[in-house]
Amino acid sequence: MFSRPFGTEIYCQGPGVKTPGYSHLSLRDRGANGIIVCSQLSLDLRFNMGVSNANEQPARPHWLRVIVIGRRPELTMVRIVVLAVTCFVVFKFVLLPIRVDGISMLPTYHTGQVNCINRLAYLRHEPQRGDIVSVRLAGASIMYMKRIIGLPGETVSFHQGKVYINGQVLDEPYVKNSCDWEAGPFVCTSNEYYVVGDNRSMPFDLHTKGRAERERIVGKLFL
Amino acid sequence: MRIAVRLILLAVVLALGWWFWGVCFPSAEKVISKKMAGLADTLTFSADANNITRAGKASSFISYFTVDAEIIVDVPELGSHTLTGRDEIREAGNGGFAAMPGLKVTFLDTTVKVGPDKQSADVSCTVRVVVGSSKDFGVEEMHFKFKKVEGDWRISRVETVKTLK
Repeated sequence: MFSRPFGTEIYCQGPGVKTPGYSHLSLRDRGANGIIVCSQLSLDLRFNMGVSNANEQPARPHWLRVIVIGRRPELTMVRIVVLAVTCFVVFKFVLLPIRVDGISMLPTYHTGQVNCINRLAYLRHEPQRGDIVSVRLAGASIMYMKRIIGLPGETVSFHQGKVYINGQVLDEPYVKNSCDWEAGPFVCTSNEYYVVGDNRSMPFDLHTKGRAERERIVGKLFL
Repeated sequence: MRIAVRLILLAVVLALGWWFWGVCFPSAEKVISKKMAGLADTLTFSADANNITRAGKASSFISYFTVDAEIIVDVPELGSHTLTGRDEIREAGNGGFAAMPGLKVTFLDTTVKVGPDKQSADVSCTVRVVVGSSKDFGVEEMHFKFKKVEGDWRISRVETVKTLK
């Protein structure tokens, strides 16, 4: 008559309930085939609905499965999706990963260094003197990495290796190599910034530098 | 369930149709992008390429230009040069392909804008050039003007763009 084995538990929550909770119920209350008749219980009892065999241990997932997909695969899937979307948004629209190539920013940056461009750096303010920025060519696949030394409306010139902004010498602690550049004056319009690398030991003509339009400045170096 | 399957099938058929239409009747932007990729292939050759290969590349290179094409190059390493007409371009091309130890040209960030008349197009891109087996590469922003001549898109003008003035 009773297919329920001895020791079957019913999980109850409520005042005055003993666990296992059905021992005080009559056979009739237990019902045929081990189905508990709930109507006999007080109304404030709340069942957890789960009726399981105390002799049966819940199957433990394989350790490899736990390591690879976690104890709850659906939660792991949600985490993976959230991580992927976050990475996509961050690295597509906020931080642009770059690899430095070339000698023009020595000794501050050298070939092979990995960095990021912060595209949102100039949302609230315009580029400042001394900022290291990336200047795009046709797109963002290859960009120039330079330091801003001249702001819009300023006149930049090089005399005996020193930079002069509107006739005033510019202090540049980041320049470690002495040079003898003689050039200028270069006048920046209201939309242009004068950019140059830190490696001034290169010949003036071989060093890529000049006035960059504001639209070409993609962002500021993150690190 | 049946409706869902039908909808999925319909979407697949539409996607296939769209793809097939694109293959049979490509847009001008696609044709020009393919031309640019072909030009990059033509300009790329290895150091051990023989003279026949180089001559073939030079001949193929000329076919990309209109009769009155113009090339204006102004880069610090090479200085300023202007080539006008197909004959001048052919001469320079033959010399370049014969003398170069090898070349690898890649067009990056290619943007194609077709004019409202559908007979001309502007292409801007970044050109990455590696000469021979050098580890260094040159980068230059370039602007190409295409014209439709007898149903075929050809380059009528090439010039370097000064990113930093």
